[in-house]
Amino acid sequence: MQTSKSPVTPTAPSEGFGAAALFTLAAIVAGFAIELLTSGSGISIPRWPANGLFLSAFVSAIAAVGFGFREHRLVGWLGGIPVGLSLIVGMALLSFVGGVLPQDPAPAGSMVALFRLNGMFSSWPFAFVTLLFLFNLGLSLLWKTVPFRMSNLQFMLFHGGFWIALACGLAGTADLQRLIIPLYEGKESDVAYEMPTERPVRIPFSIYLKDFQIDEYVPQFALYDPATDQVIAEKAGAVPEVRKGARAVWPGIASATVTDFRPDALPDREGNPLPANGHKGVPFAKVRVEVPGQAPVEQWINGGGPEIRPQFLPVGNYFVVIAPGAPKAFRSNVMIRSSEGGHRAAVLEVNKPFDVLGWKLYQMGYDEKAGRWSTMSLVEAVNDPWLPAVYVGFFMIMAGNLLFFWKGIKKMEAA
Amino acid sequence: MTLVDFPAIAVATVTGWGLGSVLQIPARKSKPAAWASWLLMTGATALLAWFLASYWIALERPPLRTLGETRLWYATLIPVVGYLVEYRWKIGWLKYYCMGLATLFLGINLMNPDVFQKALMPALQSVWFVPHVVVYLVAYVLLAASSVAGWHNLWLEYRGKGSKLSESMSHYLALLGFVLLTFGLVFGALWAKEAWGHYWTWDPKETWAFISWLAYLGYLHLVARKTDVKVLQWYLGLAFLVLLVCWFGVNYLPSAQNSVHTYSGAS
Ligand code: HEM
Repeated sequence: MQTSKSPVTPTAPSEGFGAAALFTLAAIVAGFAIELLTSGSGISIPRWPANGLFLSAFVSAIAAVGFGFREHRLVGWLGGIPVGLSLIVGMALLSFVGGVLPQDPAPAGSMVALFRLNGMFSSWPFAFVTLLFLFNLGLSLLWKTVPFRMSNLQFMLFHGGFWIALACGLAGTADLQRLIIPLYEGKESDVAYEMPTERPVRIPFSIYLKDFQIDEYVPQFALYDPATDQVIAEKAGAVPEVRKGARAVWPGIASATVTDFRPDALPDREGNPLPANGHKGVPFAKVRVEVPGQAPVEQWINGGGPEIRPQFLPVGNYFVVIAPGAPKAFRSNVMIRSSEGGHRAAVLEVNKPFDVLGWKLYQMGYDEKAGRWSTMSLVEAVNDPWLPAVYVGFFMIMAGNLLFFWKGIKKMEAA
Repeated sequence: MTLVDFPAIAVATVTGWGLGSVLQIPARKSKPAAWASWLLMTGATALLAWFLASYWIALERPPLRTLGETRLWYATLIPVVGYLVEYRWKIGWLKYYCMGLATLFLGINLMNPDVFQKALMPALQSVWFVPHVVVYLVAYVLLAASSVAGWHNLWLEYRGKGSKLSESMSHYLALLGFVLLTFGLVFGALWAKEAWGHYWTWDPKETWAFISWLAYLGYLHLVARKTDVKVLQWYLGLAFLVLLVCWFGVNYLPSAQNSVHTYSGAS
């Protein structure tokens, strides 16, 4: 595994580590000093084309240093493992702080805010370490790539992929746009909002919401204890689903059987469910409850909805209740009209983004108070021009990873 | 199979592992005892695997949603690593640690019974769900085994019984674990793009996944520098602590308190 081409070929593994650690520490201290001087305002990456120019200049600098001063001791050290390792440790420590402390607004003037410990991933120390990280990795990549040797392919793919993904991902944050578009059934909109400023933005297409739908899991029924605001455990450790014939046993209290089930109904005057024909209906279950030593009771219950009060079945100090099923899927049936004149019908659903004019549209949320009856749908529109570059990096990492796995297995066989 | 059957299955499994381990003593001299021992140990693991499969069917979704469900996977997979290590390197001691860890996981599950819950929030209904989580599971299993092996190697070293073979075993476990960790991270990023709109948001869980990855990246670079093997065993032994934070410690950190974990909006 020892490098052969790198100019510094240390014999003692610890050689260069002290200096590298000091170097990393200096970068971190300098970063925190800048934060303190600017009251923790952090860095803001410039937008296109400035970020692209900066990245090109950075790559050129790496190439110039890497090719021009390859034999120089200092440059060899800058592109060597001790510096790389120290930076990995430095980045891990900064990430540790960012992973422990909440990354949310903190009171101005507090220590956390002054050093930007609450915005670690856009702070100067993190930026410095990342830049040096990319410099170190860039140099070693250069030296492993030129002259090209097949045996270095895994190294190039893994390190190169990581370099591209990290550099382009960070440079691209400035050009990433994530907007929220609230949609209402029967209405069309081309206004989106930037978060968290809520600044309105015109988007180059409009969306008409035809219909918003939610599928739910089967409702469940439970024995509810109002004194503790908890559900009594059922014998089988499950919350039973409501379906005809379903039975639940609450040991020592009661047992219940569902004798009838109407998934979508409205009550008539006597409280009996009638089919709702798709309009604001709720699930009704006819439940027969048996308490040892008492005559069985049978009654319709429902979980309530916007137009109906819920009905429970009292059992001693408890109630048998219906809980609506959790949302299984929700989707917006929309018509998208672009400024170029085209119409397109689309279904937006979680995990199934839809592409339009370089934007990706995501089903994000809905009016949770209205739940199944929501007529509002929240859609997120994301435009990330740097995504292809980042994905090239990801796929290089995975290809390198496969080679690494294969080489590892082969070496393992030899061991 | 539902959770009602779990206590019986767990007891039967642990009994199989225990009896099989005890039979390893006569197994050194007697072929039939060796056969019986391996039959008991692998049979117990197969029983657990069968429970997992039928639980998957009963749930109508992959049992990968709750910590309790993932502990079932660990309890099934960790002993398999122990058996494979013995098969590959003829190193016998790792399997006892592995079955011990698995017993601990089953015990935790017995004390904190899960609720049988079929619902799977929409964000988790994705082709990425199973590959992402399973790759991570196997990575954690291998890295847990490499950590245990690291500690045991230090102990062997302390008693003057250190062996090249078992040191390279802990290394290869860590190496394979790292490869899978990397796949898990990238799969997670690709999935996040499809589900939440961006591949990386420095959510506490993501941050800790990144830190764990860096920890093992550091290990590999130390290896590339031909670091002293003893230091490497210490490193492997301790690196797993970082993974533990990532795995379930994250929930207890201050950073997670106001974490609007990205999918709460969609649930
Ligand atoms: C992510 C940030 C990374 C940095 C800053 C970094 C840095 C470095 C540096 C400077 C070297 C020395 C190259 C030389 O002397 O020619 C090196 C070598 C190496 N790196 Fe990385 N690396 C990173 C990621 C990775 C990853 C993800 C892997 C995963 C496989 C990896 C595996 C290796 C290996 C195996 C070597 C030794 C190559 C050899 O000597 O043949 N590195 N790394």
